[in-house]
Amino acid sequence: MTTMTGQLSSASEHLTRRPNILRQMWTSRGDYLYVLPAIVVMLVVIAYPIYYTIDLSFFKTPPGLQLRDKIWVGTDNYTQILTSEVFWKVTVNTVIWTLASTIIAFVLGFGAALALHRDFAGRAILRAILIIPWVISAVAASYIWKWIYHSDFGVLGAVLVQFGFLDRQPNFIDNVNSVLPSLIVVNIWREFPFAMIMLMAGLQTVPEQLLRAAKVDGASAWQRFWHVTFPHLRGVSTVTILLLAVANFNSFIIPWIMTGGGPSNASHIWITHIYELAFGRQRWGVAAAYSVLLFIILMVLGYFYVRALSGNESKEHGA
Amino acid sequence: MSVTVDTVTPRSRKRIDGWRWAGRIFLLIMVLYTALPMAWMLLTSIKSGFAATQFPPQWWPAEPTLASYQKLLDPQNSVGQDFLRFFWNSLFVSVVTTILAVAVAVPAAYAFSRFRFPGRKFLFFSVLLRNMFPAVIFLVPLFILMRWLGLVNTHGSLILTYLTFGLPLAIWLLKGFYDNIPVQLEQAARIDGATRFQAFLLIVTPLSVPGIIATAIYSFIGAWNEYIYAATFLTKNEQLTLPVGIQRFFSENTTDFPGLMAASFLMSVPVVVLFLVLQKYFVRALTEGAVKH
Repeated sequence: MTTMTGQLSSASEHLTRRPNILRQMWTSRGDYLYVLPAIVVMLVVIAYPIYYTIDLSFFKTPPGLQLRDKIWVGTDNYTQILTSEVFWKVTVNTVIWTLASTIIAFVLGFGAALALHRDFAGRAILRAILIIPWVISAVAASYIWKWIYHSDFGVLGAVLVQFGFLDRQPNFIDNVNSVLPSLIVVNIWREFPFAMIMLMAGLQTVPEQLLRAAKVDGASAWQRFWHVTFPHLRGVSTVTILLLAVANFNSFIIPWIMTGGGPSNASHIWITHIYELAFGRQRWGVAAAYSVLLFIILMVLGYFYVRALSGNESKEHGA
Repeated sequence: MSVTVDTVTPRSRKRIDGWRWAGRIFLLIMVLYTALPMAWMLLTSIKSGFAATQFPPQWWPAEPTLASYQKLLDPQNSVGQDFLRFFWNSLFVSVVTTILAVAVAVPAAYAFSRFRFPGRKFLFFSVLLRNMFPAVIFLVPLFILMRWLGLVNTHGSLILTYLTFGLPLAIWLLKGFYDNIPVQLEQAARIDGATRFQAFLLIVTPLSVPGIIATAIYSFIGAWNEYIYAATFLTKNEQLTLPVGIQRFFSENTTDFPGLMAASFLMSVPVVVLFLVLQKYFVRALTEGAVKH
């Protein structure tokens, strides 16, 4: 079915070679009605906040003052952030968090998708079990793992002690060295199913004939994977990795609920740090400046994001 | 299934048995990684508070009890009252968000798929870009906006916000779906005298029901699980949704681990059931929409 509709969809390409953009906009004025609701909602809830954040980032808001009594300080907030030690620490945490979560979740999801691709008894049940962590709320997941990591009654530490790996109950999330890896384990637990679903969908698009032909030509399992399956998954892999990276860069709930960024900032990432600056210490101006820096980074990421997401479409147009 | 029939499963032959075993072992590890924490949640939830805080832990509850569930679901009890109210609030917000998200995303995705108006690409990508920005950035300005709209401490503030952060992926999913519906169907309807809107409503929409279901699941789960806006926009106890309500509640009762696990379990039930029942639509929407090449 997919191949058939693929051919037909190219028929939907009405020609547009921009002779006169205003006239074109006028003739297609009815089309805008369809997107209007989406655009209005987006404008209200996105454009205004972005403008507001940029504006606020040039002001100082001492605690106790009302937001409307803000004081113009120029780019002070920015220099203050970029010269602070915490900023660099949090940045390193964010990079570790984002890269480790994204890469490991993708690899595990890829492996699970491959292992589940062949049909076998109980496949549907296994797939359902593996997807559940992605569906449940991050707040619930945080509490479950917080309980598992608990420094007195945590089951993980108890298992390690019982089997003799450790001689006493370890501190997973109250320890500056182990807190970030421990939280990454939770994050991956929640995210690998997403990569798995995406890649399972992707695997269905790999043509069986090609795999069979490669096999007739004597390609080994690994060669078939590397030369036939993998190239077909390049598009979906790029999209998945980008979506994961953006989600991880923006994660908040797991570190916030589990540790609140502590101990001594060891598990603060950018988002939790901004939240704490704004809502914990009422330093709205600095938080806004942080957010603007975040915007800039995200815009760079966004460039690749849009290119990857539009990859499918531009191929279609080229055809 | 026979392993020698290689026309059915091209990957099955004797010399790659090693790969198959590696796959099985890998799957086993992943299932343990996934299921054990959830199993521990369930086991803890049927223990008494005393049994849960023993060392070494009771691997299997010696005296299983449903006391935590009874407490949470009992409308006579103040804990149960709160929990049921949070549950209802979450349900209300999620259902309304889902209905609105479908109503807004369907026409937009259709337009992005079919029409070629100027600025179409720009608009499409600006919609997608919304996905990139973290909630925290929007919190303060949105809070001020909601105050201006008079929506603070109402569920309307949450619905409006959830709508926007669910829309980008919803539109993207649905657009892929519409791309796969042959345009000839609409052309035939137009020749028979239907207007463009009639063709969209009567011909295309019924065909896109699986995509719409996928969009609805996605919106519902997103709204059900959202925490940060709900924590900021709502302060009155009777307005809270589950994730925030549970957090507030257990920051006061830090040692009631069975209760916390029971609450986490009850909070997860609706979305897990919904997803497992409807997952084939979701996977199909991804296959036909997002992933096709």
